[in-house]
Amino acid sequence: MFSIIFNKKLKTSSNVVGLNERNIKLIYPNNPKKHYPLADDKVLTKEILHKNNIPCAKTYAIIEFNSEIKKKWDYCKQYSSVAIKPANGCGGGGIKILKKDKKDNWFSGGEIITDREIFQHIASIITGLFSLGSHDRVLIEECIEPHTFFHEIYPEGVPDFRIITLNKTPLMAMLRMPTDRSAGKANLHQNGVGIGIDMKEGRLLEVYDGKKYTNHHPDSNFLVNGVPIPYWKEILEISVETAKAFPLNYLGIDIVIDKNKGPQIMEINVRPGLGIQLVNKMGLKQVIRKVI
Amino acid sequence: MKSKTNLTILLILITIITMISIGFKIKPIFDNYDDFNPEAVYKIKYTFFFKSDKPNTTVRTYIPKNNLRQTISREKIRNDTTMFFLKKEEQKDNIRAIWNTKNETLSHSIEYEFVFSGKSKKFKIPKNFVREKNKHKEYLTASKNIQSDNLKIADLAIQLRKNTKNDREVIKNVFDYVYKIPSAPIITLTDAITTLEQNIASCNGKSRLFVALLRSLGYPSRIKGGIILENTDKRTSHAWAEVLINEVWVPFDTLNNHFAYLPAKYLEIYHGDKSLITHTKGIQFDYIYQITQENHISFLKMNSEELNALSGFSLWNLVDKKTIPIKSLHLLLLLPIGGLLIAFLRNIVGLKTFGVFLPVLIALSLLHTGFLSGIAVFVGLIIFMGLISYPFDRLGLLYTPKLVISLTIMVAVIFIATSYGLKYDIEWLTKLTFFPIIILTIAAERFSSSTVEDGYLIALHKLLQTIIATTVSYFLLSLSWLPSILILFPEIIVLIIVISVFLGRYIGIRWIEIFRFNPILKLER
Repeated sequence: MFSIIFNKKLKTSSNVVGLNERNIKLIYPNNPKKHYPLADDKVLTKEILHKNNIPCAKTYAIIEFNSEIKKKWDYCKQYSSVAIKPANGCGGGGIKILKKDKKDNWFSGGEIITDREIFQHIASIITGLFSLGSHDRVLIEECIEPHTFFHEIYPEGVPDFRIITLNKTPLMAMLRMPTDRSAGKANLHQNGVGIGIDMKEGRLLEVYDGKKYTNHHPDSNFLVNGVPIPYWKEILEISVETAKAFPLNYLGIDIVIDKNKGPQIMEINVRPGLGIQLVNKMGLKQVIRKVI
Repeated sequence: MKSKTNLTILLILITIITMISIGFKIKPIFDNYDDFNPEAVYKIKYTFFFKSDKPNTTVRTYIPKNNLRQTISREKIRNDTTMFFLKKEEQKDNIRAIWNTKNETLSHSIEYEFVFSGKSKKFKIPKNFVREKNKHKEYLTASKNIQSDNLKIADLAIQLRKNTKNDREVIKNVFDYVYKIPSAPIITLTDAITTLEQNIASCNGKSRLFVALLRSLGYPSRIKGGIILENTDKRTSHAWAEVLINEVWVPFDTLNNHFAYLPAKYLEIYHGDKSLITHTKGIQFDYIYQITQENHISFLKMNSEELNALSGFSLWNLVDKKTIPIKSLHLLLLLPIGGLLIAFLRNIVGLKTFGVFLPVLIALSLLHTGFLSGIAVFVGLIIFMGLISYPFDRLGLLYTPKLVISLTIMVAVIFIATSYGLKYDIEWLTKLTFFPIIILTIAAERFSSSTVEDGYLIALHKLLQTIIATTVSYFLLSLSWLPSILILFPEIIVLIIVISVFLGRYIGIRWIEIFRFNPILKLER
């Protein structure tokens, strides 16, 4: 009976890592809790990335107090597009992408946004609206333009790569893409799809939508399986560099490819999800055994 | 590595010590297992005093006997040596204790003591009864104080039978009529007609009228006598009625509104329209019933002293000395067990819930409200609060003030619902106050933020999993023997720590993950 309750068979024979094993074997011994803020706080993450010259979106301004809002926003107005993010936001809440037209009007999601509204948004981030009540900082940074490579697969939203690294070694990777049903978001549990990646060859594999595997993105006819990924070598390189720059040994690194600047680190995650195993049809344990 | 082996050795040692401690108590407890499982235990002492100058004095009283819902034990009789004691079974299984003395001058005292263990019992009443006219003549005919042949009573009975569809409705109509007669503590004998005419009566009068009405309609019925047990000295006994329904005597108390139900603390003593005590006329006589509630463990035959004398460590003296109210003690003991269950559900099964111990706390409130209505109210409140807080999310309010708004609305809703429920006599609405409001608010808030972060589908999914965890916790915590076991074996609490350490190091795949990762697991096979 005990062996049924505790899945004795699976524990020894399967290569799949479950949440219990991820926590005990991967996260607790490799990621000291005191360093979590380096990953959870986007401002801290970017400080380390900049210090190590790892490619990522340029930081235009960091706003900590209401008194700085006007001065710093005026400074940011020289750029044609910016992204405003809460340093400690969760689930993508509070992120605003702003673009400027020729008449210096700022647009957010196709609608004009006034300076006043921008100030209000920044102030609400500072008071902690998106970070469960604690005071927060605002990060204003360069807006990334997705590489045209992605447009052929699916033209909207920002797709990103997720690379899992253990002890500075990339283990597994996937490409996450939005769909018609995911409202621009690429997260698997928000109806985005995951595409497996052949790490050695740098090629895309099958598309997984949470239920089944196909060779196409659900909303286009473009044959995904087998397509080579541009900049794959660089992607692996910057993920290794990133892993080396942080005192955290088990990471989920999110990377996007910019139209002009190539692969850029978006953010890092100390508790990367396990869905990546499903996307790649492979348990993490066999990779860990092989690589390390 | 070394600290891990040390830990394992320590845990094994603790387990062995607790097991030994449990082992000492297990045999006496097993030997005293009692499958009767009473809900209430009382010690009752009848005390009679009398002075007689007659050459032959007799005092008679009815004494209780065992039946399906009560057991009588540890009977003790004390009387002076001049008295002659006799126990006698009278017609139709009433038992009478009879004391007789030929001594003329002395004043006498008699004590009759016993322990009552009782259960409440609810009876199902079929729609229509099997009725055999000739079989139960004595329960159908009129008597001196139950004048079922009286015209007024017969008229009223026929009135009450009008517009009914079956026997059960007839009984219900008669019951409601008698129940609605105002009650008053009348000491003098009130017969059925007087009760009807005065429209006010005590238990005796009401029971007689109820029996008279039913007999007049041809339902065999009788008066039942006993004592409602409370932790006090009493001089009042109680009377209710029984109706023979398909060869089962079903109780009805028209004073206290018990319809086909007898609470655990009703001591049944005799049946028939009789007095509990009778004695030779013309003597000085006084009496009292001394009643004390006994702490007990439902599945054990042991009494308090025997439990205290158990070898090893138990919490019985806390119960016995009433240091902590028994309900709070149960609650405290159940919390760790509930917590362990949640740890199991989360880490082994893989359920995701709103809040870690929320399901346990909700389950504890369900013990008061009842399961189904409680769950319905809980889900209703959470979804209602989730929807209510939606506009406040849109307003962009800060987290803590938003929580205060949710809390306030929750309190207001609970008050409105409770007073509405009281006004219109809707029972389940009055039970909202049993829920720990703060916890409900937090759950509701989590639900609403989950609808924003993960979407409605995932939020509802989590709510469903929370309800599953709550249900499992409820069924574990509602086991009535569980707190008793924990009182007898508090060592189990230590074992919970040991088990939790093992759970905390468990790295196997959760049950839910077997489904989640099924595509890979299938490939591996």
